[in-house]
Amino acid sequence: MESTNFYKRFVVDKSIAEKLNFNPYYCRITSGIDGTVEINGKEFVDLASNNYLGLAGDERVKNAMIEAVKKYGASMCGTPIATGYVEIFKNLEDKLSEFVGLESTTIFPSCYQANCGLFLKIAGKEDLIIVDHYVHASLIEGIKTAGCKIKPFLHNNVNHLKKLLEKSTGYRQVFVVTESVFSTEGSIAPFDVIVELCTRYDALPIIDDSHGIGVIGKTGRGILEEKGIKDFQGIYTASLGKAIANTGGMISGKKEIIEYLRYSCSSLIYSTALPPAILGGIEKVIEIIESEFDSISRKIWRYKTLISERLKDCGFQLENGQAPITSIFCGSFEDTIKMAKRLYEHNILSTPFVPPSVPPNKGRVRLIAGADLKEKDIEKALEAFAAIKVRNINHRTFKVGNYYSQYQQSEY
Amino acid sequence: MNLEEQIISIIKDNIEEKYDITADTDLRNELGLDSFDTMMIINAIEDEFDITIDESDFDNIKIVLDIIQLLQGKYIIVTGVKNGINEFL
Repeated sequence: MESTNFYKRFVVDKSIAEKLNFNPYYCRITSGIDGTVEINGKEFVDLASNNYLGLAGDERVKNAMIEAVKKYGASMCGTPIATGYVEIFKNLEDKLSEFVGLESTTIFPSCYQANCGLFLKIAGKEDLIIVDHYVHASLIEGIKTAGCKIKPFLHNNVNHLKKLLEKSTGYRQVFVVTESVFSTEGSIAPFDVIVELCTRYDALPIIDDSHGIGVIGKTGRGILEEKGIKDFQGIYTASLGKAIANTGGMISGKKEIIEYLRYSCSSLIYSTALPPAILGGIEKVIEIIESEFDSISRKIWRYKTLISERLKDCGFQLENGQAPITSIFCGSFEDTIKMAKRLYEHNILSTPFVPPSVPPNKGRVRLIAGADLKEKDIEKALEAFAAIKVRNINHRTFKVGNYYSQYQQSEY
Repeated sequence: MNLEEQIISIIKDNIEEKYDITADTDLRNELGLDSFDTMMIINAIEDEFDITIDESDFDNIKIVLDIIQLLQGKYIIVTGVKNGINEFL
């Protein structure tokens, strides 16, 4: 058998990108992110990155990272259980625990690895995991490793969850898994109600707060603060690569479970620990959030409102999210890529979501306006939205699916 | 309520959006169901009829009628709920 037959199985379907002469993925950026990014020598308004608080390019964060490199070097060249557990690692664990209000924390190379590694260690075939229909791929992959019964519940639907919990008897342990902010649409889980139901039915809540930490809650401490949840008995995971403006993931909760994961979770103990520069950067970001969250968050909410209002005025169909995310409903795969292309043509960088990241024909383009954007950048984006609409009116043959339908109905 | 009505009702209760569903409705192409949707429907059918379904049985399911035939054939369910009482062999 020729090995070429093997490689013939691996083909990426780029037909839509070729048809539209536009591929939004793996776009080569030739600058850092500081409100704008440079692509092909042109300046783009960055509405794509998850740099909510705009701290990825903050001088204080960069300096903290440099200082950590100076003190500890580029890497500790070991897993956390071996040489990777440098003092700055331990300090950051404590700082993150205090920040989210939980007993203990351990830090993974990514939240993907945290979510993938967690379930194999805490659940088995005698258990049941009830999970929100639209959770992130990392949670789904992680849950599947446990080999237990899985029951999805309708997205953010506590009545459906309650029905499932009522029927969930005879298991060793029932878990309820969800996210705080569903990032493709910006909805926030009714996690206070979910925790209450878990208490009532003796289930253990697990929350992924990746798009909530540093973003929601009165002082930016995430979903537990946002929903006023005290003495959380469940397990908390989050990415450190979004508002926290670095990379890595965390799992927090009761001391017993975190200590157990430290000694058993494969994706932690067999991965090289996050390097000192990252740890130092995260520590500085947490300090900045603790002292400046109010003024920074005011900016991102103002930007979100400006963008959402202008898009609505221009007839775009938006998802009804409560987080500082604006999500334009586009429909089909092709219409979603077309929308991202129109924005790109106006030097706006966005994130198009197509299946399997979203259900079939539920494509959407996500816009996140971080606090590092300047007023002039926002103005440029608002002008672009209006120009896209105007262009559509002038050229009636151009139509991008449902996102344009409201305007058509009212104006044509 | 006969079995067809019962299955349609279960599907409607376990998908995110409202659709008109008949025995000929294509689950993937018309309703856009993903693997978690299918899992929700299987779980609800299991609860309703107190049976355990082999998930691989759903690999070849295309339309609603296929589910009904699967339940009648392999799981020997001949009728649905009447007056709130399960009636099946």
